[in-house]
Amino acid sequence: MFENIYPQLIGLCAGALLLTSALMVWRHSLLASIRLLALQGIALAALVAVIGIAEGESELVLVSLLILSVKGIGLPWVLAYQSKASIKQIQESPRLNPTAALLTVTLLTILSYVVVSRVFGLGDSSTGHAAPIGLAMVLIGFLLLISRRRARSQLIGFLLLDNGIATITFLTSGGVPILLEFAFSLDVLLVVLILHVFAGRMRTKFGGTAVDQLRELHD
Amino acid sequence: MNAVIIAVVQVVLFVFLAPVLIGVIRQVRATIEGRAGVGIWQPWRDVRKLLAKNPVRATDSSWMLRAGPVALVVSSLLLCVLLPLVGTIPFALVPSDLFVIVSVMLIGVVALALVGLDGGTAFGGMGSSRHMTVAALVEPTLLLSIYAFSIPAGTSTLSVIVETRLLSPEVIISPVSVLALVALSIAIMAETARLPIDNPGTHLEVTMLHEAMILEASGRDLAWLEVGSWLKLAALLGLVGNLAVPWGVLTDFSALGLAVGVVSITVKVLVLGVVLSVGEIFLAKVRLFQVPELLAGSFALAFLAVTASYLVA
Amino acid sequence: MSGIGAGLLLQLGLGALAVLTALTAAPSLRSRAVGILCTLIAVIGFLTGLGAMLGATGGLRISIALPIDPLLLAPDRLGGLFMLIVSSVGILVSLYSMSSTHGPDASRTAWVAMPVFLVGMQLVPAATDSVSFLLALEIMTLGSTVLLLADHASRATVASAGIWYSAMSQLSFFFILAGFAVLAAASGGTSFTNLQEIEPVPANVAFVLLLLGFGGKAELVPLHVWVPRVLPEAPSHVSAAMSGAMVKIGVYGGLLVSVRLLPDGPAWWGIAIMVVGGASALYGILQASVSSDLKVLLAYSTTENMGLVFLALGASMLLRGYDAQAAADAALVAALLLAVSHAAFKSTLFLGAGAIIHATGERNLDRLGGLGARMPVTAAAFGIASLGAAAIPITSGFVAEWMLLQSLIHGGRLDGAVVSVAASVAMPLAVAVIALTAGLALLTFVKAYGIAFLARPRSTEAAEAHEVPPLMQLSLVLGALFVLALGLLPGPIAALVAQTVSSNPSAAVQSVGLGGVSLPGIGAVLDPLMLVVLSVLVAIPVIVSIIVSALRYPHRTVELPWGGGGSRARPRMQYTATSYAEPLVRVFDDVLKPSRDVQVTHVAESRYLVERVRVEQRVSDVFETRLYRPVLNLFQRYGIVVRHIANGSIHRYLSYSFVALLIVLIVVSL
Repeated sequence: MFENIYPQLIGLCAGALLLTSALMVWRHSLLASIRLLALQGIALAALVAVIGIAEGESELVLVSLLILSVKGIGLPWVLAYQSKASIKQIQESPRLNPTAALLTVTLLTILSYVVVSRVFGLGDSSTGHAAPIGLAMVLIGFLLLISRRRARSQLIGFLLLDNGIATITFLTSGGVPILLEFAFSLDVLLVVLILHVFAGRMRTKFGGTAVDQLRELHD
Repeated sequence: MNAVIIAVVQVVLFVFLAPVLIGVIRQVRATIEGRAGVGIWQPWRDVRKLLAKNPVRATDSSWMLRAGPVALVVSSLLLCVLLPLVGTIPFALVPSDLFVIVSVMLIGVVALALVGLDGGTAFGGMGSSRHMTVAALVEPTLLLSIYAFSIPAGTSTLSVIVETRLLSPEVIISPVSVLALVALSIAIMAETARLPIDNPGTHLEVTMLHEAMILEASGRDLAWLEVGSWLKLAALLGLVGNLAVPWGVLTDFSALGLAVGVVSITVKVLVLGVVLSVGEIFLAKVRLFQVPELLAGSFALAFLAVTASYLVA
Repeated sequence: MSGIGAGLLLQLGLGALAVLTALTAAPSLRSRAVGILCTLIAVIGFLTGLGAMLGATGGLRISIALPIDPLLLAPDRLGGLFMLIVSSVGILVSLYSMSSTHGPDASRTAWVAMPVFLVGMQLVPAATDSVSFLLALEIMTLGSTVLLLADHASRATVASAGIWYSAMSQLSFFFILAGFAVLAAASGGTSFTNLQEIEPVPANVAFVLLLLGFGGKAELVPLHVWVPRVLPEAPSHVSAAMSGAMVKIGVYGGLLVSVRLLPDGPAWWGIAIMVVGGASALYGILQASVSSDLKVLLAYSTTENMGLVFLALGASMLLRGYDAQAAADAALVAALLLAVSHAAFKSTLFLGAGAIIHATGERNLDRLGGLGARMPVTAAAFGIASLGAAAIPITSGFVAEWMLLQSLIHGGRLDGAVVSVAASVAMPLAVAVIALTAGLALLTFVKAYGIAFLARPRSTEAAEAHEVPPLMQLSLVLGALFVLALGLLPGPIAALVAQTVSSNPSAAVQSVGLGGVSLPGIGAVLDPLMLVVLSVLVAIPVIVSIIVSALRYPHRTVELPWGGGGSRARPRMQYTATSYAEPLVRVFDDVLKPSRDVQVTHVAESRYLVERVRVEQRVSDVFETRLYRPVLNLFQRYGIVVRHIANGSIHRYLSYSFVALLIVLIVVSL
């Protein structure tokens, strides 16, 4: 039974990852982006859990719990740690118009598909077929980093990029050792915390975190 | 022969069901908003009233004002004939090919746009222009979601697609199908002039698409325009229902199966109508020039669906 | 001599007779007499083409003094099909021009050029070697240039269009010539049958050159810049012949290259053709949809349609490379059907535009309106052709587009497996491009028909319009019937067309039911007549109920039923073509880059009161301003420099020749 729906489940998780990435480009509001990030974390955890159950590795299931707690709950909570009322106001006005951004997302997905199939070959397993989605997430993360003005929206792009890297590693090699993953997750958490505090400081000091306007802060 | 029976049943059923669907949508909305509402039979009464009136026509209006409503109703009725709503037994020579179905729907779109222009007023032209812009931008989403649906079944024939989903239900939760269904739903909202693309409840110039085009029509012209639009909405909701939940649809002809098919499609359409109505309460109409953004989003979903079908082969 | 040869010879003879008649006949008789001869030429061409398409062999051998093979005109099946297309358009145009031409359009020069143009177009698909092909191509170009310039004395725009046309057609000619030269050098002969077995490098070079050349003939981006200048300025029957028939020669060239001359190319050939075709389709329809000039709209829409043809052709090449034979054949047949249907509807549309100009003197849609009641026959024919252009069911455009879409969605996979990465990326993109093109085409032609023929007249010229003479009506009706026939009986036509390109036509396309078409390799069926029967069946109750209710509740006619809220709604307040396309201009602002100019004149007493607002919006061709302008400027600067070398002194020119001769002699002796 599980063997039958295994490819479907992998596909569903990978599809959810891609969908949430595309929606992050689509939506302007910060709160929506954070919620999507949480969803993406959950989808990533589910993906790891499915792979773990399929290959009978309890370690992977543990990793999936870790991912769920850090990426699905922890990071979004940190990002949204501010009163809901004020965060709802925050609307991104991206440098790229949304229609063009969405079309770029589709093109990036194609590009990652072509690259992965040309350079690595897709292989026969369903995980191999899903691997381009990880690369697409990395590219979409970069797109967010480039096109967003606010520091916190850029942070979301960075996290999307990180999720993409994690997806690639899990889909191609069946995961990284648990210790490494643990350390890496903590690293990311630390970076996010630092950036978050930093962004908060910037806002109190300069009244905004639009990176465009911060070009001349040399000293 | 079976195909003919199913087609007749579908047409008769949907002619009765479509006004009820509109009545249900309006009544649910009224109830949630705390109004008493007019009951679910009001659309029927409206049609009867309109048919018994002398239509008023402008001196400069042409035969288009007379032919347009007929073309719209016929295109909507053809949708009811071709789509697998009650059963999936198609005509041998005119199978329910999705590309054909989309083009048949476009006949209605064009007829409505021309009726809007025929009035010779600024309002009609405005509605017609916006309506066609939306229709043009929806087209890529429609055809790509069809493409995505056609991949697992290996054909664009809708009855085969529904049967495939019935036989292997795991296809329904596959990312390809989910993405394509979401994209198709957005496209259908745009095609049938529902929120958030058009507000069916207002007559305010800045928000109007559909209403602006039919302002100049009256009497039976208006009645047929309304019936055509309702039929289209009902048939397309039935299509979404059968794609999302294919169970209950008739595949081998039998009297009992036919009854089950009729009941199940009625339930699906009405449930989707309630969902639509409840969903619309939480939505505001987006600005006209943000509609392309929404449609680009749905296009991206449809495109990802097709690409994903090659990725997750 | 075979029937085909006799037909070709008869055409040449009739052509010569027509030229003589045009030179000698009295002005009052000229149009009638030469028009009848031109119709005869086209009818003979039709029969010859039909014979060749059905498989008759034979041809015309013309010996020449040059030391190359004699010219051989012997159309194969594919050539026959294109002769058929060209001559069908020729019949319509000749009938129409008999009563439509007057003034400079009916001058002696114009009527001399007409038979030359028609015969030239007929001979290109008949050619079997590159020399006669190029010769016929030049005859055709010459005839069309003269026809275009008929009215150059009274309108400056015509002269400028003529220059653009000559420059661009010679550029295309140069590319084609160079391409054939490369092929001939590589294979050692000018006959098409010799041009096989070529090394990859010359094949690639020749392919690029020929694609550029035929792309220019077929109005593809970025060589389309002559189209929006030339087709609107030419007399309407000439635009119809150019758009309906002449650009098909470009398509024929594309097919000649991809099917006969260089059939087994690498995958990037197919992709290159698809990219060029897709870009042309999108760009063409986008420009058409925002244009308010009826003939500019039709001209850009030609670019769109030819783009779709090449998209189909490229898809077919790509799929053939991956052994997806059924889908490849379907795409190729779709390309041919697109070409055939385009010939039918676009010539009808241009002739309809000519009828509108004949009746009102206007081709600006913003000043038309209400013509449906005043010109019913034109309105009906233009309407049917518009439906064809918008690819609505039961017209020719729909069947072709349906077949193309079917081949694309089945092309990405073969027996459930992905055939290749390139195909799996190209097919969805192609479907998206076709879909957006189809959607915008729908808007474009709703706009063209609705604004011109419905609602109230927007100018006095439109209000005083009258139906055109019977002969013009006849050719309009014939054109509309072609559109309907191709749409209602696609099966037999598609089966015939498939024979011209496919080795195994019955595996690619079959005729089923009442003239329906089926693609056995793909498993798709379409029977438009059955669709009509079904819609009549469901329409009967509706129509009966309408008749019953019309008898009981007759309608009332008032000046304006609601009138936008008041009786002051004047015709000027209606939506115009420009306002109709306004949302689209905004949506595609980044691509079209329209220039807007808003001037507000205030009342003298107060800055808050406005006396007049003047809005001007121009959408220019991005390719012209961004690509051609810089190049032309460069040429101009170069020209100024070169002026010193060529200063008009005959002695200097003679010494140049002398030096050149010396150099040649020295080089030869080395």
